[in-house]
Amino acid sequence: MEIGAYIKLHRIKQELTQAELAEGIVSSAYLSKIENEKTAASPSVISLLCTRLGIQLDTGTDEMIREKLQNWYGMLSSEHDMDEMVQTYRELNQVMYDNHSADSLVMFEIHKIRYYLVLGEMDNALSQINKLSEMSGTFDTLHQFYWYKFKGNYSSASNEFNQAIRMYEAAEEKFNQLELSEEGIADLQYTIAVTHSKLRNTLEAIDYAEKAIATFRVTYNFSRCAQCHIVLGISYRRIRMHNKAIKNYNLAKHLGELKQNTQIIQLTNQNLGYLYSTIGENRKAISNYEEIVKEEELMLLERITASTSLIKEYYNIYNYDKAKEMIEISLDLLEKAYDKERFQLFYYITYTYDYAINLQAKKFETFVIDEFIPYLKKHKDYANLVNYANMLARHFEGNNRYKESVKYYKLANDTYEELISL
Amino acid sequence: MKKLMATVALGTMLVAGFAAMQDAPTDSAMELEPRIFSVGHDVSNF
Repeated sequence: MEIGAYIKLHRIKQELTQAELAEGIVSSAYLSKIENEKTAASPSVISLLCTRLGIQLDTGTDEMIREKLQNWYGMLSSEHDMDEMVQTYRELNQVMYDNHSADSLVMFEIHKIRYYLVLGEMDNALSQINKLSEMSGTFDTLHQFYWYKFKGNYSSASNEFNQAIRMYEAAEEKFNQLELSEEGIADLQYTIAVTHSKLRNTLEAIDYAEKAIATFRVTYNFSRCAQCHIVLGISYRRIRMHNKAIKNYNLAKHLGELKQNTQIIQLTNQNLGYLYSTIGENRKAISNYEEIVKEEELMLLERITASTSLIKEYYNIYNYDKAKEMIEISLDLLEKAYDKERFQLFYYITYTYDYAINLQAKKFETFVIDEFIPYLKKHKDYANLVNYANMLARHFEGNNRYKESVKYYKLANDTYEELISL
Repeated sequence: MKKLMATVALGTMLVAGFAAMQDAPTDSAMELEPRIFSVGHDVSNF
């Protein structure tokens, strides 16, 4: 990174305009040229600008800081203690603006995007992206690699998966020009695999997961290996290769147990439960889901997903007492959710079954027609739209209301067409 | 009467179509991908 971009970074950070920084030293237009590397300013001008910004120039990075930075970057992409990661960030944030090289400072600023994402601070991540956008034209290839990767991470976290893939592909293009660690490359490949899976690009998901797992096996990164096996399990289930999917899930579970990683074990149970549910093995599905609901250490999402899955399973085998029990559990869990919008889908599923089981026909119809189906349409959740349009159609059919029944069977069929064309 | 019969016939056709369709389960909501970030929490997609 050149000096102009370095000055620009500090000016933006201090919220100064070009006119304010340039006043009495150079013209604003000339400062703009310096910042954009369109002219080589004299050392005395550079020195005056740096003095006004309160920064000192140093071409080399202190070894200790460099080591600390590397350490912190590692914490952002591996399993690590959150408190230590935050503490290291605070220490670095205090010293980074004093006396260190422009390259390190820019890298630190780019990694802040990932840091905020890991903490779940989406607004801070976005404002960091916006802050850096202005100067992204001056990034070198390594900066660009992380810039695109972390912008992709932001899009993933915002459920903008198509945009995320575009960013990851831009990062991937930088591979060949850089000497990145194998693990660094595999981490991006794993991320791309997960994103393709979210987009239901099954073959791409398999391709990237296989590439990533080949590296993670060599580096003994068992947690990531397990996560790749889960992506493979989901992908193989989608193309109906059930035995291969089960094999991958079992490998994931085995590795999760080896690492005593509850999150991985239970994620495997959820997906395995779902697989059994789709092939009609309800008992096996129930036994996998039950494991998750019992686990208090897990985050809400996993437990609510499992409890709502169980409502469906019990409903499908006409065990309404157990289904009611699961509805109670789901409602309790939903009560604990601070971000209600994130769990909206589960709220709809739970109440849909609640009304259906308790034979509250009018409430069931109004709720599904006026609230649930519009919600699913709005979120383009075609998979669930097929299921619940079908459930509603069956309800009408059972009550000899054929016209309404046909309407919702048609909705289910049309939506299914949409889904398979994805 | 004709109208009712037509409706029933269409309904039957669609039910048959749907029964075939159920061989290909589509519910993605209950299938969860692993997280991208190893530390902290990830915003999950349903």
